[in-house]
Amino acid sequence: MTKLLSRRTFLLTGAALGGTALVAALGGLGYLATVDVDGLGGFVDGDDAVMNAFVTLHDDGRVVVKVPRTEMGQGIHTGLAMLVAEEMDIPFDERISVEHPVELLPVYAHWAQMLGVRPEEPQGPVTWIGRRLISSIPLITTGASASTLNLWHPMRVAGAAARHMLLAAGAARLGVPVAELTTSDAAVHHAASGRSIPYADLARQAAVLAPPDRPALKPRSEWRIIGRSQRRVDIPAKVKGEPVFGIDVVLPDMLHASIRHAPVFGTRVVRIANEAEVRAEPDVLDVAIIEDRSVAVVARSWWQAETAAARLDVEWSASEADAVSSDALDARLADALEGGEPYIHVEDGDVGAALAVDGARVVQATYVAPLVAHACMESMNATVVLRPGGRAEAWVPSQSISLTRWAVFRGMGWAGVDPAEVVSHITMNGGAFGRRTETEVVAEAAFLAARHPGRPVKLLWPREEDIGRAMYRSHARAGLTAVLGADGLPAAWDALVAAQSLMQSIGSRTLPITPSPDGDRLTAEGLEKPYYALPARRVRSVHVPSHVPIGLWRSNGFSFNTFFAESFVDECAAAAETDPVDYRRALLARSPRHLAVIERVAALSGWGAPMAAGRSRGIAMEHCFESIVAVVAEVIVTGDGEVRVPRVFCAVDVGTVVNPDAVVAQMEGGILFGLTTALISRVTLSDGRIEQSNFHDFTMPRLANAPEVVVEIVPSELPPGGAGEPGVAPIAAAVGNAIFAATGTRPRSLPLALAETTGAGRLRTVLAAEAG
Amino acid sequence: MVSLTLNGRLVDVEAPEDKPLLWALREDAGLLGPKYGCGIAECGACRVLVDGQSTPSCVTSLGAVAGRTVVTVEGLAAPDGTLSAVQQAWIDEQAPQCGYCQPGFLVAATALLERVPDPTDAEIDAAITNICRCGTYPRIRRAIHRAAALRAEG
Repeated sequence: MTKLLSRRTFLLTGAALGGTALVAALGGLGYLATVDVDGLGGFVDGDDAVMNAFVTLHDDGRVVVKVPRTEMGQGIHTGLAMLVAEEMDIPFDERISVEHPVELLPVYAHWAQMLGVRPEEPQGPVTWIGRRLISSIPLITTGASASTLNLWHPMRVAGAAARHMLLAAGAARLGVPVAELTTSDAAVHHAASGRSIPYADLARQAAVLAPPDRPALKPRSEWRIIGRSQRRVDIPAKVKGEPVFGIDVVLPDMLHASIRHAPVFGTRVVRIANEAEVRAEPDVLDVAIIEDRSVAVVARSWWQAETAAARLDVEWSASEADAVSSDALDARLADALEGGEPYIHVEDGDVGAALAVDGARVVQATYVAPLVAHACMESMNATVVLRPGGRAEAWVPSQSISLTRWAVFRGMGWAGVDPAEVVSHITMNGGAFGRRTETEVVAEAAFLAARHPGRPVKLLWPREEDIGRAMYRSHARAGLTAVLGADGLPAAWDALVAAQSLMQSIGSRTLPITPSPDGDRLTAEGLEKPYYALPARRVRSVHVPSHVPIGLWRSNGFSFNTFFAESFVDECAAAAETDPVDYRRALLARSPRHLAVIERVAALSGWGAPMAAGRSRGIAMEHCFESIVAVVAEVIVTGDGEVRVPRVFCAVDVGTVVNPDAVVAQMEGGILFGLTTALISRVTLSDGRIEQSNFHDFTMPRLANAPEVVVEIVPSELPPGGAGEPGVAPIAAAVGNAIFAATGTRPRSLPLALAETTGAGRLRTVLAAEAG
Repeated sequence: MVSLTLNGRLVDVEAPEDKPLLWALREDAGLLGPKYGCGIAECGACRVLVDGQSTPSCVTSLGAVAGRTVVTVEGLAAPDGTLSAVQQAWIDEQAPQCGYCQPGFLVAATALLERVPDPTDAEIDAAITNICRCGTYPRIRRAIHRAAALRAEG
């Protein structure tokens, strides 16, 4: 604790600027005056030479890189550590380890993506103020595929600053000017005298030197680590089965809890009919109603807690939603497309006039996508302890240390306890996909911990709660209309989507005021296609509320809108009797960067070459999260309707690549995640309840169903974009377009197929009878 | 209390016989490698070797393994820490993403290679029914082939 406080104090003072005080006055936030958003200073703390907020050196040569982002399989700990190692001239080997920091430092904030800027770009006064506000909270999250984008610059600066300080310490030790020194292999060298000093021997002197103001970064031509595949730092522990996940947290005197939530979202606990009976189960210590919304059982082991929870007989309040079914929800979407009052996101050119032209060649189609669950392999869990003096500590597989901390406060508040301080530890995440930006499990665990002060409580949701009582990717229905010009290309493009606003749903759970659903760009993203030459275009959305909680879900609106829009482009190409790749080439005539990606994937997949009998191809693309992805799916449709996807080709331009193999892995993973969803994923409602509960009815493909995925990275020297989500976006449309090529029937409804179980852990995917 | 051979050591596990082996391993034997994923033998994250057979420990009772030999992911490496061929292949192919399901895959692949030293893709697909949500299946297939080659080299 001393260590934590000393470091925090050090890093939070020092840059109390007049301007910051002005912002503080404007925002009414006095503590803003103590915020240092650069965090480049260092200090010596016991055995650690803390060079700055991102890098610590040890006497024995170990280098600890602090990566304030969650590792959830995307390889971000490795990628961001590579940036520091590159600038410091430290070989990327086993000497380097990575930790998610415990401290919530302003310098770790997720500000650039939230402000829509790049951290390396010159910044105006609005950005300056926005950065300081976000940094003062500070909001630290891992999402929006933005970790590399956000930290690509600051972490190189941190590495360069540390190297600069080590050079200065080396110059002092050797009594030579810095200009005569070089660095490599984690050491300072003086070529003239043949002397070298390892960083480990200089670190303590270097850490207390003043950091440079604006350290120069290495030019691209001198990169030795960035752009070359490095092995992920988190993988060895994972193949040894080491306890790195939240579910693996074990603490002395720990209690275990399981839970039951309302089967119909929003309903409340009326009473527990058999509370005394459940309390009498072996080793059960507590039965707790949390905020009237759930019932938890606390026991000495999770198995006992879950066994007792399974016996709970809870009476829930009645609700209007008790009668809601999937069909009723879909009818609401359809009604909204017809008679809703849409919000206009984009209106360029005169779409109405183009549609009104007599004899215009009009293409029209309606598409549908269902609600889907995240189904992270590690079910939701959190471990929290309330210690004497109101100190709380939490261990959580979460996408945000900031949101985790607030959730602990919230949950303790429900129990009437006001913790003075919360320390949070972010563990490895067993899958996240946006689900772990939600923190209800943390608040629940904190509530339970407050009832058992001094004893850590680990709350683990059983899988049935995770799939059936959670939050979901919105369902959606869209109508697309195009007027084709004489050249067969759209002269006008009109897209209208009905869906439940994600931002409103999240806001209603987390903010004091529920935000308006109007203008929620996450509802409409993926419909605009700004890189296609479309002389007139309009994008509108209608918010359709329901009682189902909607959450962030890998690629959000793109996950359905890109299916809609890229299927529709294919429909336009078919109407114009043009090859889908040629059609996109024409649409991309003025977008050379996008065209290059299409050309790459066309070449990679052998587009146009004859296929074996029964095989067909489909293409789709998207530009999202600052990256461009195009995929070609090969599809086999057999006589009895079975649909298989044996191969997928992917070309991707993510700008500058830090760790190429990690980008390839994210494309593979995104494509498989999107393919699963496109083919078979949906949750359905009956009597207001989600009908699916586990992997037997929310089915997952297995190895036998998985395609070969061929990925090629298109070289680029632009700043890095995202890699986690872009791969998800285009695959559904590519598969749908391939099914159309094979069958002549246009699939307009997700999922494209039904999963038929053919034995234990075996399934085949069969085309749904109807086609939207 | 149940006696069994666990990762090469004879141990007594202090837990009721009807407790699922998964939870006995995690809560009573201190082995956190086997993971809870579904509790209904669908996902395979909990798989362990029971007398060499890949077995979902979430639906196997502790009592059912009395006197038998159980190996978890923690027991795949040699006593000196040298990784097994399967584990090494997993690293060489950079197979895991989040890694949560991988203990079950490593166990299932180890059992497969004991039975079929050089499996075809079709044999791999038939034998391995674990679930991975991150989409590591293509790399897992490659890693199994690589592990087969490593084992053949000896």
